[in-house]
Amino acid sequence: MGYILNQDRMQVILNELQKDYIIYAPQNKVGEGMYSDTDVVRYERIQQIMDVEFHKKSNYSFKEVLLPISQTLFYYTENEVKEAEVERKKGAIIFLRSCDLHAVKRLDEMYLKNGFEDYYYKRLRDNVKFVVMGCENSFENCFCVSMGSNIPENYDIAIEERDGLYYVDCKDDEINALFEMSDEQKEAVTIHFVQTNDITVSIPENLSIDVIKSKMWDEYSSRCINCGRCNFVCPTCTCFTMQDVFYTDNGKVGERRRVHASCMVDGYTEVAGGGSYRKTNGERMRFKVLHKVYDYKKRNGYHMCVGCGRCDDVCPEYISFSNCVNKLEGAMEEITNHE
Amino acid sequence: MDINTKKLKKNAFRVTKERGLTASRVRVPGGHMDAKYLSTLQEIAEKYGNGTVHITVRQGFEIPGIKYEDMPQVNLLLQPIIEGLEINQPDKNEGYSASGTRNIVACVGNRVCPYGCYDTSGFAARIEKAVFPHDLHFKIALTGCPNDCAKVRMHDFGILGMTLPQYNKDRCVSCMACVKACKKKSVGALTMVNGKVVRNHEKCIGCGECAIQCPTRAWTRSNEKYYRLTLLGRTGKKNPRLAEDFIKWVDEESITKIIVNTYAYVEEYIDKDAPLRKEHIGYIVDRTGFEEYKKWALKDVTLSEVAEVSKTMYWKGISYL
Amino acid sequence: MNNEYMPFVSEILDVKKHTDIEYTFRMSYTNETEVKPGQFFEVSIPKYGEAPISVSGIGKGYVELTIRRVGKVTNEIFEHYVGDKLFLRGPYGNGFDVNLYKDKEVVIIAGGTGVSPVRGVIEYFSNHREEIKNLTLIAGFKSPQHILFAEDFKKWEQNMDVIMTLDTNEGDSSYREGLVTNYIKDVTITDYSNVAAIVVGPPVMMRFSVSGLLNEGLKEEDIWISHERKMCCGIGKCGHCKIDDTYVCLDGPVFNYTKGSQLLD
Repeated sequence: MGYILNQDRMQVILNELQKDYIIYAPQNKVGEGMYSDTDVVRYERIQQIMDVEFHKKSNYSFKEVLLPISQTLFYYTENEVKEAEVERKKGAIIFLRSCDLHAVKRLDEMYLKNGFEDYYYKRLRDNVKFVVMGCENSFENCFCVSMGSNIPENYDIAIEERDGLYYVDCKDDEINALFEMSDEQKEAVTIHFVQTNDITVSIPENLSIDVIKSKMWDEYSSRCINCGRCNFVCPTCTCFTMQDVFYTDNGKVGERRRVHASCMVDGYTEVAGGGSYRKTNGERMRFKVLHKVYDYKKRNGYHMCVGCGRCDDVCPEYISFSNCVNKLEGAMEEITNHE
Repeated sequence: MDINTKKLKKNAFRVTKERGLTASRVRVPGGHMDAKYLSTLQEIAEKYGNGTVHITVRQGFEIPGIKYEDMPQVNLLLQPIIEGLEINQPDKNEGYSASGTRNIVACVGNRVCPYGCYDTSGFAARIEKAVFPHDLHFKIALTGCPNDCAKVRMHDFGILGMTLPQYNKDRCVSCMACVKACKKKSVGALTMVNGKVVRNHEKCIGCGECAIQCPTRAWTRSNEKYYRLTLLGRTGKKNPRLAEDFIKWVDEESITKIIVNTYAYVEEYIDKDAPLRKEHIGYIVDRTGFEEYKKWALKDVTLSEVAEVSKTMYWKGISYL
Repeated sequence: MNNEYMPFVSEILDVKKHTDIEYTFRMSYTNETEVKPGQFFEVSIPKYGEAPISVSGIGKGYVELTIRRVGKVTNEIFEHYVGDKLFLRGPYGNGFDVNLYKDKEVVIIAGGTGVSPVRGVIEYFSNHREEIKNLTLIAGFKSPQHILFAEDFKKWEQNMDVIMTLDTNEGDSSYREGLVTNYIKDVTITDYSNVAAIVVGPPVMMRFSVSGLLNEGLKEEDIWISHERKMCCGIGKCGHCKIDDTYVCLDGPVFNYTKGSQLLD
């Protein structure tokens, strides 16, 4: 059902929803950017519709809602472990864009399938509704069209904000009932999704693991500073590292938690005794890029990357992931000609 | 030729080594201005000067080779620059009304530089508003961060930008970027304890390196801007020396008040025989003692709880006396 | 819903010291899930963290874990003795499938702690000698002080060909000297169409041993290797052990060489 609401009326609906759901949305955090007097857009629990940032791409993705950056798994004493309580006792409503909605499928693939079902992911993933925010225009560095993630699937609400009005297309019966309860007129509403991006990527058909022999990775060894920002902002990166902590110096009580990990950052492959794999940043870049557009597909049947371009937006060294993907074709030619 | 040199100096002209020729000194508080004023400077230099412009060490311009009799015309041409840069001016079209308090220097600050903790030129312009025109010889400089590219410790008042790092442990992934950067590029105030970062506040110099390096926004900058205020550095013939720290984590309002208060203190204690009433403030403080200065400087100043005021201050430097 | 991250308490039943830094801990294990050699457990001591440790022995009511003191977790484990408790999760990984080697001439090449994951396989065939045609074990250690499972070797020598070699025998000529790869040519294989080899050890040792076996005429599909990778979860989530499209913790750590050779970091 379609509705057009002003801010006050939209807030009424949001208030109703908050009885059963916690609302997460991108919010412009003033002054919290990397440099002084710069902002960052990241996910936060919101209570006011006006706090939702509709017009910028979020720098960090929604994944933090389902996969907290730092998550306690259990508490322990010397002889006992006690599971950590769930972070959220209500359902959740997550505002996100089409690319991110496609990323949800990737998170599910990893955490609900791929071997065991992840207990902690599952309990945050249950009872979640998705509100997809329209994209009238492509943002800088977006290449969702190339990755086939520009059109959303399986969402509960689509929404757009223009000139103080909220255009809503609701597919969820439960939420439709709320609109009807507050006597909202049904309107024909079209939510926009981009059909083109300035940036396109093409992943060569003949891409194979042999591409690791290409010289194309070498430049990243000197350009990349292995800060891991590209991983932390990526809506499809799901790696974590375990940490055990104790509360006092001689305490026998503590917790085990997991924190997001980056395959670009030192220590990611380090095994007991100090050995590690992929020591150069070029090798790490190659590992990341091929995971996004090659080996994930080999395992799961579709590409991991959703083309949000956040990795390009955030890179302090101006390394472009999309441009790197576009070099793969030449790299395949290079190694084929060599053989 | 009958010229009152005292008057022309106050009007920001200079007695030069070449008889009959003066130079016009243009103030650019904070060293940042619209490019359009460059064509005005060019016009003055080519019409009344010798066609050259000197960029001064204090970030102003000096236009040499001007005939003394052309000073009124030069002042007329300077008017749009004076107004455009919002320089306090009691009499319109009369040029600058003082030159004792020097142009306020600033590094490029956060308008451009990633390390800058604040808008240095903006703060410089606000100080200029509060202290100019004044005949007393005050030198003020601002720099965006503790790198101190503006070399503020060679000035009476040095203002170094700081940020009070804010840590959101829930966003920290223990990647060590902040700890490494703080150790290598700054003072090593951060340590990793139990997978989370502990900041040694006493050691921290507020450079913001952690907030820059943090890949997850676990470290961000404080809403409030903070500064380190250093006092009474100087160059010169007798006893050049670097400024010492006066207040760490001080706010903008307090800094402005302290500078304004210092004018009253100098009026009170300046050597009455000082040539041209020009005496570095440091020599006055050497005479009255720091305690007396501090009393004057902090009059009606309400510092925030985080501010740390030095109890005593000692300056070193080279003495040729 | 099963919470795979919650460890269970396991008691240290026995500790066997092999070297200064390598002990075998016999841990109580009474869960229903069957344990295979080559699988691993995530062993943890709260506040020091978890480490993946491969199973070196399996028996009724216990599993054995041979631990090398190399990190924060393993250092701490060495402070625990009989009667103390550790936390375990697992078993994880595929492990060795002994059925694949039945009725074959089997060659096992192991270096250092690489003996741990294959110890169960050797034990099995030592006890079921009739199930295979022939068994040759080539084991390499650094020096006499680095030898693991010395008692086992004495037993194994009774019913299989054992070649133990040391990087240096420190003047004790009762030990052979040299790399394991030097002894591959000494293995007698009568029928190359019915042979299986297992190679476990440090990456370089594995690489050269496999190429030695291939030179001897073995086929890639008759060779199995076991990979060691960083693993934080053991259950296909944390990502650290992924190589290409393969999760070592789920799909390995034991790989047929046709697959293992494709896993390039």
